[in-house]
Amino acid sequence: MIELKDVCYSYSNVNALNNINLNIEKGEAVALMGPNGSGKSTLLKLINGIISPDSGIYEFNQEEITHQKLQNNKFAKLLHQKIGFVFQNSDTQLFCTNVYDEIAFGPRQMGLNEIEVDKRVKDCLELLNIQDFKDRTPYHLSGGEKRKVAIACVLSLNPEVLVLDEPMNGLDPKTQRWLVEFLVKLNKAGKTLITSTHNLELVQEISSRSILFDETHTIVADMPTEKLLEDIDLLIKVNLVDQYYHTHKVYGKL
Amino acid sequence: MDNSREKIIDMPQWLLQTENYIPQADKDTFVNKSILSLLKVIARIKTQDSGKQAKLLVNVHLKVAFTFMLIILLSLTRSFLFVIIINVYLIVILSFMEAENIIKILKISIGMAFFTFVVMLPAVLWGNSYSCIMITTKIFASITAVGILSHTTKWSLITSTLKRFFIPDIFILVLDIAIKYIVMLGDFTLNMLYSLKLRSVGKNKSKYTSLSGIAGTMFLKSKEMAEDMYYAMECRGFTGEYHIYSKLKFKIADYIYILINVGIFLIFLYFGRK
Repeated sequence: MIELKDVCYSYSNVNALNNINLNIEKGEAVALMGPNGSGKSTLLKLINGIISPDSGIYEFNQEEITHQKLQNNKFAKLLHQKIGFVFQNSDTQLFCTNVYDEIAFGPRQMGLNEIEVDKRVKDCLELLNIQDFKDRTPYHLSGGEKRKVAIACVLSLNPEVLVLDEPMNGLDPKTQRWLVEFLVKLNKAGKTLITSTHNLELVQEISSRSILFDETHTIVADMPTEKLLEDIDLLIKVNLVDQYYHTHKVYGKL
Repeated sequence: MDNSREKIIDMPQWLLQTENYIPQADKDTFVNKSILSLLKVIARIKTQDSGKQAKLLVNVHLKVAFTFMLIILLSLTRSFLFVIIINVYLIVILSFMEAENIIKILKISIGMAFFTFVVMLPAVLWGNSYSCIMITTKIFASITAVGILSHTTKWSLITSTLKRFFIPDIFILVLDIAIKYIVMLGDFTLNMLYSLKLRSVGKNKSKYTSLSGIAGTMFLKSKEMAEDMYYAMECRGFTGEYHIYSKLKFKIADYIYILINVGIFLIFLYFGRK
């Protein structure tokens, strides 16, 4: 479904992605892991068509995604409908006057009639358990509520792939647990999930496969999450975990 | 993945089906152009701050002081020869810089000089071509001097230097914070525009409502950030006073730079007042 071949990307001569080769199948749940600044968010932006590779090939559903193609309005819009992106900071994603309009923003643009739009919005409100907020201003919600609204906005577009940038950040443990269970459900419903995360305790539950970046912006491991979490030496080597702390304790039992 | 945690959440039917959607074309020029301009501004400030800009290896205090001096002398002079000498001097300095920076500086200088020329055009038509050429070349020189200063010095250093010139602390504070927050709010706005672009999957009949929503959120965010900063400053005991802890140290390059500028001042005294 998503294939990257020798993809490189840099910001004003600063390398962000270095020779990335990756293949993600439909229905997979993949986690991107790595230290800060290793290129995870850049890869998510590239997958969503916000940026295009400096070199290499990015294919979605066997079609190459290039800068030229993304200039084509219709092509870009179709890609954005198929790949939903939940931003790390939910504040950046919400700009409508109330939660209802926020969720209805996408379906209305898709040309659905108001009855269908209303159904989608109500379904999303129920799915994310945010019915009580439908008339509230998104900006004044709590962090967890905003994250739920942001997910609902993306879900209402019914994307095939859901890309989440650090979705657990800033959430309390209860909301984190709820989100984990919700993502598992979405994956079971057939959605492909790509999640960037630092949360080693929850990664195993939201992904069956993990891709590990190091500080050279390269993929150093692509393996089942369970297996990756056992390889503490590798996690220490890429500076994802602390050498002293994690050789004396096993995460998951902290 | 953990199957035991399965909870009953009924997925609606539409979410289980693949969307058969053909988007309609829509104009996104405003959002795309806004994204590009924001990217340029943020990249420019980040480059300034990362220290990757071209370096003129002289003390930042001297650079700021002599750039001010140059602008004052240019505005005082009545000698066209002095203006030409300064222009030649500035172009020589420019020639030591990277091509990319030369283009950036000249673009602004020539643009501003051309604008001045257009404004002064009626004077030429009335036979006062001397004033027109004089003011245009003075503008070119002044803008080039400021361009060289800003492209060879970090803005954070420039603001800290202002303290040495007895500029009020409140002015330095406002300048310092403004530069910092342009980047932070710029990044935030950029992400909002990306989000709008990604969520605009069809025909947006109320583009300006979405954009005003972004502007409103930006306003709330900046207010929130300003309040947070105020409380953080209070907690850290910031009293609104800037202190400089480094001592002025001059190297050989600094003495050469001082000599050149003293020379410029002497040239001004000789030609400039005529």
